[in-house]
Amino acid sequence: MELNRRNFIKFLVGGAAGIQLTPLPWKLTDDIAIWTQNWPWVPVPPVGEFIHEKSICTLCPGGCGIEVRKVDDRAVKIEGRTDYPVNPGGICPVGMGGLQLQYNESIRFTRPMKRVGPRGSGVFIDISWDEALTMLAGRISGLREKAMPEALAAVDGNPARSTLSLMIERLVKAVGSPNYVRIPCAEDTYEMANFLMQGTLGPMAYDLENADYVLSFGSGLLEGWGAPGRVINAWGLWHENPAKKRVKIVQVESRASSTASKADRWIAAKPGTEAALALGLCHVIIKDGLYDSEFVNECSFGFDDFSSAGGKDRAGFKTMVLKKYSPAKVAEITGVASDDIVSLARDFAGAKAPVAICGKGKGSLSGSLYEFMAVNSLNAITGRINKPGGILVHEPIPLSSLPEIDFDDIASQGLEKPRFDAAGSTKYPFSNSLINNLAAAINRSPESPVDTLLVFAANPVHTLPDGGAFRKALKKIPFIVSFSPFRDETAYMADLILPDHTYLEKTDDIVWPAGLQYPLFGLSLPVLEPVYNTRNAADVILKLAKQIGNSVESAFPWKRFEEVLKERAKGLYSSGAGLVDYDGTNPVWKRLKEGTGPGPDYASFEEMWKKIVSGGLWYRLEHTYKNWDNLFETPSGKFEFFSSKIELAVNAYAEQAGIDWALRDMGLAGKGDDVFMPHYEETASDADRSTFPLMMLPFEIINLTSTWVPNPPFLNKALFDTQLRGDESFVEINPETAAKYNVGQGDRIIIKSPEGEVRVRANLFEGAMPGVLFMPLGFGHSAYDEFSKGKGVNPNDIIHAGKDPLSGYPVWWNTPVKIIKV
Amino acid sequence: MENPATSPKKSSKGGWISFLKGLLPTENGSAFVPPFSLIGWIFLLAGFFGAFTFGWVVYPVALYSRQPQPISFNHALHLDPDVGGIEGDTETEKCLYCHEFRDDGTFSGIPKLAKCTECHDDPESPLGETQQEKEFMEKYVAGQKEIPWLIYYRQPDCVYFSHIAHVKMGKIECQTCHGDHSKTEKLPIYRANLLTGYSINIWGKNIAGYKTNTWDRMKMDDCAECHTKKGHEENNACFVCHK
Repeated sequence: MELNRRNFIKFLVGGAAGIQLTPLPWKLTDDIAIWTQNWPWVPVPPVGEFIHEKSICTLCPGGCGIEVRKVDDRAVKIEGRTDYPVNPGGICPVGMGGLQLQYNESIRFTRPMKRVGPRGSGVFIDISWDEALTMLAGRISGLREKAMPEALAAVDGNPARSTLSLMIERLVKAVGSPNYVRIPCAEDTYEMANFLMQGTLGPMAYDLENADYVLSFGSGLLEGWGAPGRVINAWGLWHENPAKKRVKIVQVESRASSTASKADRWIAAKPGTEAALALGLCHVIIKDGLYDSEFVNECSFGFDDFSSAGGKDRAGFKTMVLKKYSPAKVAEITGVASDDIVSLARDFAGAKAPVAICGKGKGSLSGSLYEFMAVNSLNAITGRINKPGGILVHEPIPLSSLPEIDFDDIASQGLEKPRFDAAGSTKYPFSNSLINNLAAAINRSPESPVDTLLVFAANPVHTLPDGGAFRKALKKIPFIVSFSPFRDETAYMADLILPDHTYLEKTDDIVWPAGLQYPLFGLSLPVLEPVYNTRNAADVILKLAKQIGNSVESAFPWKRFEEVLKERAKGLYSSGAGLVDYDGTNPVWKRLKEGTGPGPDYASFEEMWKKIVSGGLWYRLEHTYKNWDNLFETPSGKFEFFSSKIELAVNAYAEQAGIDWALRDMGLAGKGDDVFMPHYEETASDADRSTFPLMMLPFEIINLTSTWVPNPPFLNKALFDTQLRGDESFVEINPETAAKYNVGQGDRIIIKSPEGEVRVRANLFEGAMPGVLFMPLGFGHSAYDEFSKGKGVNPNDIIHAGKDPLSGYPVWWNTPVKIIKV
Repeated sequence: MENPATSPKKSSKGGWISFLKGLLPTENGSAFVPPFSLIGWIFLLAGFFGAFTFGWVVYPVALYSRQPQPISFNHALHLDPDVGGIEGDTETEKCLYCHEFRDDGTFSGIPKLAKCTECHDDPESPLGETQQEKEFMEKYVAGQKEIPWLIYYRQPDCVYFSHIAHVKMGKIECQTCHGDHSKTEKLPIYRANLLTGYSINIWGKNIAGYKTNTWDRMKMDDCAECHTKKGHEENNACFVCHK
């Protein structure tokens, strides 16, 4: 029995034959086939009970209604709600991809931490909530003991008017600091323009769905402007019946964006000259007598020439516009043919329900005050103020205000000190906060005046169009606390991380979705149990206040954030109007036209609150249209083409060193009475145009976030390879301009501005205005996960931001650049 | 010249027969040494039967895991009218007492802890006297921890299966597909295919593919067989189940 080679082969042959007569090979083949269809690394949805939870999306100020599909405790899908009046069923790609911000530990913070590595390195160690809160409370109490509470500052990017924002402002104030600073956005400019011309404090409310002619000054209607779910739905309504299409959309923009490409007419005005175009349209309308004489004569101030108190003759809006904004002149400024200006003006004035809107891109960046006023004037002379399909003028939503704070001595003294950003001072009389000034103030002084900075829902290091000024300022601030749920660039600079819940885990509210034409209070409720050891920033504030004690503690008598929300909602109830039920069958915008609504659909406050908690909303249908005699709260009681408030403010400032100095110092290039009215000013720039002959303009796209919210990785798949290829992002250049610099498609170039340079690839695009380089916002992160980090470049890094005249907001649309071929 | 590839093959005279003859050991001591000696045959057959036994006996055992359920559960006890008291007019109703349809019509399958705690609500006072219940109370009810049940009949992710369509519309009893569990006192050992991860109850308990009971196997052909038998051949279309 020798086991030699031959016998071994025989053994194998026998084995091979024998195995064929067993199930092994056949079963194995089948199993392998099954195995290849069940790779263990392919994610499979969990098995369990399907649960649909309703809430609202708070990733942007749009506040669309969302429905989250869960399998047991795991969220698996986010969809738009059909029973929410803002967005009948639709949401934007970011909202859909929101789940990827929920479970991704390389995007999210999972627990409180403190910094141990150098600033910006992102090296932290875990600490407990108690330790973290003691640390922060100790720091703030320390500032109060040293009688310098104003050294506490907060940067807040939560949607305007939200209760959380109110709590943050209240905390800073109660401590004794006036330095509560908001991230600027288009809504701030709307509010300022409304305040100056209409005297009201309600937000801008465009009745888009009922308009039949929409003239958009750069608003990215298809790029996520306003509440994206609502605006894209409105776009659908305008195009519902192509055979009988009655709505015309005109887009004024220097780049063929999606909105411009799909609009009925695209007017490419040079960036920053939109105000001139709007006034040019006013010129034609006035000259042709197409304006609404009832509104203009009876209800407006400063349209015609008038004599002021001292008997001085003043030139009115009409005179100024007729004199300075003829189509020929405006054509010269804007680059739009004068025939186009004339025909556009006639079309606009000839439409039944036209509306002119402004706020560029998504509206996440601030605008130009005079431009917004000029667009508003266009609406006013055509009588579109407070009429269906136009601009509706409202009071702020009737939420209760929080009780007065009983300031202690330290707080009172601190609050008397001037703000570091000079907002609200005689120089910037109409701004509530100016983050660009704060950064400049810190960079200017040898030691940062801010000792402790709290950052909420904001990533100014990446999103501010300031050429990196804020990042530089952060390096000088001794102690930074980030409340961000996400591992963003600003949080990396922080000393203490107190992570907030994500929007799916927390209670929050959206008070009046951006641009919506009727008042709506949306309540976002947790649809998921917190996945990590995070806490609602509002609850952290309540706890922090208790630890600081004194007037700070007494300013926050609540145990939980929900109590604050409920207390505010009492105002909604006592307003005596409003609805909390909405079933989606009869859209609010349709019912709104009647101006009346059924009485409240609740009998008691408790019933109303219960319904708000389950349905997520309160809204009001009643609206008195026109009502021009009682509407305006300006000094003249009328709509002001000539703003008395600007006149007062400028004159007050001029008391220091004369009017010429005052105008210059306020950044105004206009002269005489022009500065009190909407007018066009060439954007001031200190850059040498011969060194930097081109212009760079950032733009926003719908499948890339450009705010503090990280980009869901899924959205990378929706980018074209002329936007991002590998790690390189593209700049859009007109082929004509590219040819001048011998740049071909895909060539690598360096874009250089006075602030710095970035390396990108060129995408030759006929839709880009010659002489202007267009760079998408949202790339160039140095934080987050592998899908965002190091992908492309951030145009904000090289933006050479000037200041918008009067408002003081950053001017991000006027960066002089040059290109160097690599 | 004739192409050898196309020319008809001529068999050499007695070629096959003499080849086979040659395989047999010869006694006449001729000079011809056959390729297969007796020892050769032993090796060949050892290989053959070794593989045969491996394929039929060892492999089916080795292919599957053997996992006991995290805790024991006695169906018979719960359905005993004197003890568990789970009631229902029909057998199906009794099953549905715990294995219920949710409001949206989906089937809950193995109940969650919440179902158990409808009766076993107080961890301090067990309803019976068994050691298993005590263990269950301490480990799961007190800590509000879900029981990680191993599920015998879960279809893979590519299959859409609706229980309610079969039970309510098709009027099929639970036992028809799952066997009568109401009298079992112990849960069977869970066995999963180590390669695919599928439960043995899905691919089939018998490695040769024979089945005696409906619940022995739940592959696609078994679905189709029943559909055909019940006159619902239209339900054998791909997209009925593979959506």
